Amino acid sequence: MTPIVELQGATKEFRGNPAFADVDFQLQAGEIHALLGENGAGKSTLTKIIAGVYPLSRGKMFINGQEEKLATPAEGLAKGIAMVYQENSLVPSMSVAQNIYLGKEKPLNRLRGIYISAQQFLQSLNFHVDPSAIVGSLGAAQKQMVEIARAVHHKAKVIIFDEPTATLTPEEKSYFFKLIKKLKDEGVSIIFISHALEEALMVADRITILRDGRLVASDKATAFDRQKIIQAMVGRTLTDEIYSGGSRMRAPRKRGAKVLSVENLSMGNMVRNTSFSLYAGQVTGIFGLVGSGRTETLKVVCGVLKRDFFHGGEVKIDGKPKRYLVPAPAVRDGVVYVTEERKAEGFFETMSIAENIYMGQLGGQSFGGFNIVSMKQARFVAEEWRKRLNVRAIDPEAKVIELSGGNQQKVVIAKALVQKPKIVIFDEPTRGVDVGAIAEIHDFINQLADQNIAVAVISSYLPEILSLSDRILIARQGKIVEEMDRRIATEETIMYAAVH
Amino acid sequence: MIMESTPQSLTSSGTGKSAKMGSRIGLTQELIVFLLAIALFTYFSLTLDNFLSSANILNLIRNVAMLGMLSLGMAVVVIGRGVDLSLVAVMAVSLTFSIVLANQGYAFSAALVLGLALVIVVAIIMGFLIAYVEIPAIFATLAVSAIVYGLGRGVIATLDVNNVPDNLDWFLFLGRGSFLGIPIPIWLFAISALALYLFLRRTGFGRFIYAIGDNISTARITGIPVRPTIILQYVLSGVMAFLAGCVTAASVASMNMRMVNSTLIYDVLLVVILGGIGLSGGRGGVRNVLVGTVLIGLLLNGMTILDFSYTVQNLVKSTVLLCALIVDALLNPRDEQTSQQGDI
Repeated sequence: MTPIVELQGATKEFRGNPAFADVDFQLQAGEIHALLGENGAGKSTLTKIIAGVYPLSRGKMFINGQEEKLATPAEGLAKGIAMVYQENSLVPSMSVAQNIYLGKEKPLNRLRGIYISAQQFLQSLNFHVDPSAIVGSLGAAQKQMVEIARAVHHKAKVIIFDEPTATLTPEEKSYFFKLIKKLKDEGVSIIFISHALEEALMVADRITILRDGRLVASDKATAFDRQKIIQAMVGRTLTDEIYSGGSRMRAPRKRGAKVLSVENLSMGNMVRNTSFSLYAGQVTGIFGLVGSGRTETLKVVCGVLKRDFFHGGEVKIDGKPKRYLVPAPAVRDGVVYVTEERKAEGFFETMSIAENIYMGQLGGQSFGGFNIVSMKQARFVAEEWRKRLNVRAIDPEAKVIELSGGNQQKVVIAKALVQKPKIVIFDEPTRGVDVGAIAEIHDFINQLADQNIAVAVISSYLPEILSLSDRILIARQGKIVEEMDRRIATEETIMYAAVH
Repeated sequence: MIMESTPQSLTSSGTGKSAKMGSRIGLTQELIVFLLAIALFTYFSLTLDNFLSSANILNLIRNVAMLGMLSLGMAVVVIGRGVDLSLVAVMAVSLTFSIVLANQGYAFSAALVLGLALVIVVAIIMGFLIAYVEIPAIFATLAVSAIVYGLGRGVIATLDVNNVPDNLDWFLFLGRGSFLGIPIPIWLFAISALALYLFLRRTGFGRFIYAIGDNISTARITGIPVRPTIILQYVLSGVMAFLAGCVTAASVASMNMRMVNSTLIYDVLLVVILGGIGLSGGRGGVRNVLVGTVLIGLLLNGMTILDFSYTVQNLVKSTVLLCALIVDALLNPRDEQTSQQGDI
């Protein structure tokens, strides 16, 4: 039987760096195909290639046996391939019916007309959604239904779901699975990306596992079990040498004073009633997959994200309850956050290295605005930090945006550390950083903990967690669910706790 | 790791290139404007009979001083990635308020203080709307401008033109006098330019304004008091508007509120953008305002002497403004990742 979608030797590179390479992938008509792998394994990019969001760098794609080169998602849709994104792609201010017909309206569109036909269409799918309801007021599962209805309405033969169940409640999930089974019975092929292994084992006909941009396993779902999948997901060959040393070679640091304690913290449905503590003089690794709420949790702690006033639990710094509405007071109390998105919120792109670091110093002082700025002092401070972190720039006056990723990251770190923090939260400190800089940043994180600073490192890269941490917290579905002693933690046990 | 890192490095090095290009050309943009101004000056002095006459030079200087002060105020806000369309209304109405109070028997100095207080109150309300209520600056300042003008025309005064009371030579001196042979308006412009230069370069708040204009999210995470600083921006621009109003009122001994309906605010934007202060924020400084002011002041004066009609002048100015906006958009492209909805 000809597969409905086939990739041969598919490679996608972003400026020479492969997102995935030499992938041979087949999707049969009327099958549910689960795509598994760690964050960054290349799953999303692979499905975006199939949907036509990006073109392939090398290799071939066949749809129904015909070689195709899709350039836009619209072309993908015309070939019957629809993608339901992680972030909802519905228009929240429009009604359900308007969203379903979006882009396919008749020239003379009657609201009543589309309500009636949408009603009939939704009933034929057995979806109980009011077509006149405003999408913004619907729950996550109902939004998913509308997305699916739209895909089916576009006569999609292949529907791709990127993390469809991450935000759903258990009932909504079981409803969702019934739904994709029903679609399958109607001959639609489904690809879904998931971190929930049980779901994949339960629902999928076939499972494909990616790791570090390579396809490592693809077989009938019945040929897998949980253990096998986890091994395939984490089994590692690349970059082992950077991570093999680190904390595994020495005894974990003793925990110091409890500097941060979080009790029953909640925010929307991203952070759900979570509790944990950080201790001085230790590196606490926080591992979690996409949708586990680890970034959101720590952003709430340091005021980068604002909570509702009336609920949300308690954050205590040095035993004193604190509720930060903006980051400024948190910074003054010695809680700093080093972002994972350094370009969007990490550095000032029009400023030099010295100015960036100096801005950290000014921003960290109470009434820093009233200071008289001295560029001499700025250069002096910057030079000191440049040396400590080994920032390499040909021109010291160079703007930060002209530096390499690793050097940019070092500037962002210096800008935070110049504020003399007691608690440092690193969010993916080595994302998009070259191998040499990774080792330097890791060394530096260790030095901080040795200076009795409480360090938290959020990472989705298991070797990083294992080589840096003195203790490991694992986040799952908006909650810190497990604390592990790193002497007994392995990639498999951590992944086992993080998936659900 | 691989997949998530690559698009990021792709975009960062991509814009890195354009930012580099922008700053390189940005420097020359200032120079180009300066050279254009010199060329224009030479051209006008050679071709226009009256251009170098002392009466015209004085007129030119007075207009330039007023325009320059307003532009300094606008520049502070634009560097912080905002815009203040209420400058002209605030200038006209606050001075009218002072003059009306004086005509009702207040000492003129007290009336001026109350006028300044009005400006600061309006600026704080406006800054609050922008920083805390998060209304886009362009709409908040436009609405406040209309409200201020409405109050001025409907409540504070019944006439458009209000005359400064007699026997206030010290006040008129601000507009008509001179010191060391240089007219006072120029002194005031120079002093405020120097003060703002020092503020922007040498104080923490000045640097914060650049930081906020560059990247407001980074500024927040760095612990900079973002919202108070935004309010401060609008207070400063309001104070500059008030100073410009003093110079204007002093030079003609009256304040004409019809000015609000003129195209003056576009001239101010023209100066700021043409001078090379990008609307994307965080770039430029007082020097850019100086060159922009000189060029636009010369252009306006020359067109008046050449007897271009009001409409033709507007056509020329708006064409130049549009070209400057296009050049600005090309040199300082807005970054999708850092730009926020609502700002202009």
